[in-house]
Amino acid sequence: MLNVQRKDKRVRATKTFKAALFLAVLALMVAACGTDDDGEAAPETTAAPETTAAPETTAAPETTAAPAGPDLGDIDNIKLAVNPWDGSAANVAVAKAVLESFGYSVERIEIDEQPQWAAIATGDIHASLEVWPSGHADNVASYIDGGGGVVHGGELGAIGKIGWWIPTYVVEENPAAGTWEGLQDPAIAGLYATAETGDKGQFLIGDASWVSYEQDIIDNLGLHLEVVYAGSEDALLAAMDSATSRGDPLLFYWWTPHSAFSKFDLTSFELPPYSDECYASEAVDCDYPEDVLFKIFWDQLAEQAPDAFTILSNFNYANEDQIFMLGKMDEGLSVDEAAAEWMAANESVWQSWIPTG
Amino acid sequence: MAGVKSWNARLMGRHYWLVNLGLAGVVLAGLILLLPDSIGEFPPAWDIGFGPAVNELQQWWISNRRDLGVYLYFFDPLSDSIDWLLRAFENFLLGIPWFIHVAGVGLLFGRWMGLWRGVAAGAGMLYFVVLGLWEQSVQTLALMTVAVLLSVAIGIPVGIWAARSDFMNRLLRPLLDSMQTLPAFVYLIPVLLFFGVARVPSLIATVIYALPPVIRLTNLGIRQVPAETVEAGEMFGTTRGQLLRKVQLPQAVPSLLAGINQTIMMALGIVVIAALIGAGGLGQEVLLALRHQEVGRAVEAGMAIVLMAVMLDRFSCSLVGQGRGNAQSASRGLSSHGWGTVGILLGAVAFVGWILGWNAYPEGLQFSYAALIDWMVDWARDNLYQVGTLPLGTGPFSDFLTTYGTRPMRLYLSQEAWPAVVVFFGFVAWWAAGKRLVLGSVLGTVVIGLLGMWTLTMDTLSQTVVAVLMAIVIGLPLGVAASRRDWLEKALRPVLDTLQTIPSFCFLVPVVILFNVGRIPGIIASVLYALPPVVRLTNLGIRSVEKEIVEASESFGVTRRQKLWKVQLPLAMPTVLAGINQTVMLVLAMVVIAGLVGGAGLGLEAVKGLARSDTGLGFEAGASIVILAMILDRITQGWAARFQPPSSDSQ
Repeated sequence: MLNVQRKDKRVRATKTFKAALFLAVLALMVAACGTDDDGEAAPETTAAPETTAAPETTAAPETTAAPAGPDLGDIDNIKLAVNPWDGSAANVAVAKAVLESFGYSVERIEIDEQPQWAAIATGDIHASLEVWPSGHADNVASYIDGGGGVVHGGELGAIGKIGWWIPTYVVEENPAAGTWEGLQDPAIAGLYATAETGDKGQFLIGDASWVSYEQDIIDNLGLHLEVVYAGSEDALLAAMDSATSRGDPLLFYWWTPHSAFSKFDLTSFELPPYSDECYASEAVDCDYPEDVLFKIFWDQLAEQAPDAFTILSNFNYANEDQIFMLGKMDEGLSVDEAAAEWMAANESVWQSWIPTG
Repeated sequence: MAGVKSWNARLMGRHYWLVNLGLAGVVLAGLILLLPDSIGEFPPAWDIGFGPAVNELQQWWISNRRDLGVYLYFFDPLSDSIDWLLRAFENFLLGIPWFIHVAGVGLLFGRWMGLWRGVAAGAGMLYFVVLGLWEQSVQTLALMTVAVLLSVAIGIPVGIWAARSDFMNRLLRPLLDSMQTLPAFVYLIPVLLFFGVARVPSLIATVIYALPPVIRLTNLGIRQVPAETVEAGEMFGTTRGQLLRKVQLPQAVPSLLAGINQTIMMALGIVVIAALIGAGGLGQEVLLALRHQEVGRAVEAGMAIVLMAVMLDRFSCSLVGQGRGNAQSASRGLSSHGWGTVGILLGAVAFVGWILGWNAYPEGLQFSYAALIDWMVDWARDNLYQVGTLPLGTGPFSDFLTTYGTRPMRLYLSQEAWPAVVVFFGFVAWWAAGKRLVLGSVLGTVVIGLLGMWTLTMDTLSQTVVAVLMAIVIGLPLGVAASRRDWLEKALRPVLDTLQTIPSFCFLVPVVILFNVGRIPGIIASVLYALPPVVRLTNLGIRSVEKEIVEASESFGVTRRQKLWKVQLPLAMPTVLAGINQTVMLVLAMVVIAGLVGGAGLGLEAVKGLARSDTGLGFEAGASIVILAMILDRITQGWAARFQPPSSDSQ
């Protein structure tokens, strides 16, 4: 008896499931085919409003956008890469707002800085706005110079510098702890030791995807250090926060422009100065170069979305502009709110990027 | 009764292999002492350069794919059409007003599984809306749906093939094992190079990870159809196709649906990792929350994933006919007539809503408890990191575990002469699973060395060992306690359920804040993630010891302690060890994921492979992880099998 009931239920269940599946597939087809067959939609009544609603929402930006500005080109949905640090997110937020004010829609794609090249080369992503040249010589060679589908999009305007940093109180107490010669001495390097690194000093870096020559520098200079990954920009900031609050020594990877300098008193760690020869050799043993940050675009962007190409090519601002937004984000604003504040205060700057006529 | 006697004999027998073990241990110790320390790690010069070769291949593909027909006319259009389908599905779901979803899902569950489950399901849908996670949830749901459909479409035919051909079956097994143990970090880049970025590669990666259960259980289901049934079918002169469609497949349906259920759960387990290549959705919320150290945000999105998993689980379970609601409560739902009426009503409301423009959920009514969670975590960080000046709290604990646990073990393993480690693995394999496994594990460890991953593998192994030991030390007593007290078992169940459904990633978010940077956060997360199987199966094992045996022992007047140690635990051993086997695999998976937060070892290497497009490095690390996982799995399984009572037929 029980068995029969259960079987009955199963049959009924499968039937309902089949119907639901069929409906979903049908409705999907109807929704995807556009607006031409609203009336005769699926037999189930719930499906009818769905089919009218779906195309309505997707079509909205197109229909309202088209007459507003000039012809946007074949592509009206611009996909921008967001790399895992806040500066990158800030650039994209500004670019998004400007492009949208012009009539484009913008999609943000979170992706690491290395894989983004392959994606831009095929047009899966249209642009990335903050490339740090020091770590991308190979990519520039194969994707830009080698005709691999990516074009140089001009400078971002901001100048970056990756380096090693320590809280200032560390060098005040022990000047040798702020130089590479000092850390060749195990006793001084031991200042930075943690339980994790044992006798060696700890060198803290954030995201594994960042441009990094740390292991080379440490090996080639014979420093008694071990590289430890905190995982992200914010994890590194948290480590700075707890170290400085306790007055502990901490040696870490960081860069300018960044708002952290307004919060912490940091001193640059002395590495051998940068030289082109040092970076040309296999064994890097010197400081990072100054990075003139630049933009990269898909090579067909100019053709497929000419105005977006112009806007993004003109996109240019200084370190202070980025720091302004990063500071706002530290105060708890979202990246879009921070971008909106910067745009409100600097209207003439971003207006000048927009093509006229 | 015969059972008791044979158990007794077996327990005696255990001492014989203890003697064997001792002897072998002495030989091994001798060997280790004889090998000079100077041998140390696996010689780096023996690296066969697998990684660079893979990278060359990748470079070739990158520079040539734009001229290759296979890319232009196969991968690119395929990717575009999948992308189009996914977007259409997403837009379709987003086009339906939120209250239709809430009511629709509620009604569906209500009709199927009774009123209360319907209400609960509706409330679950409401969670996504109220928390402002609607779009992300829909995106994840769309990706899940297509991924699961694709997995089923591929998995069932392959499973049938494997069921019909032993050769295929043998060929598939290691492949399926690798698909489940290879960290997704490793194949994200290759997938990205073939299928572009964002939705499509995430879908492909999800399918790779979620496919094995459908194949396995389809195969199993068909193979389990009794031979008599098949023979009866053949007697009636069915063709092979008829036999499959009319006899084998219908009988295999429950197993098949169980496979689909597992596939759904696996697919949800990977949403966060897929976010690393732009899958978006709830996974991206968790990933961003991890990067920005916002525990509250991670918990909100994590809970949404858990809810989705639970709902899909119940839904697919009820397809199997295991739905907990009985037929009576189901009939309390709506009749098909009422169902139609409600449908029309909702449709009308949605239509009016669409015209009036109030189909979107009002933002003012959104709710968030992230701030509360953040406040709690901040409090914990400020107060539990170190209690006053005492050596108590998560900070000192973290240091303690590093200084006396992971660090010495890592240094020992990586500085020990490598042949000794290889021999040790072979020895453990022999002891646990007999001769057959020895060759495999010795070869496997040597291959790890040849891949140039020796030291990193020892690092990961040491983390795994420490985490597994911690899980056992915590889980075993908890399981024993739960087996004795019904209230504790009941209280633990929802906690364990939640721990098991939360995507592994979510564990990382709070631990990186509370524990010191390095390997410890990953280890703590692994322990939490891997705890449920030990607790569950210890409890289950002890509870399912036959009553007669326990009563017999009581009649001999044993104390409670004796009863536990001499009767219950030994008899529960096979089940407990099955739990430990699962725990080992979960720990290894988690330790690898912890590479994202500085976990070091193979996990970090696999992450670097992804983050720096160094696929060769990723594959070297990934292959080592797969080898390590297979060896550990076979060893713990073999160990569990030693305790398996002789099957009842043989007596």
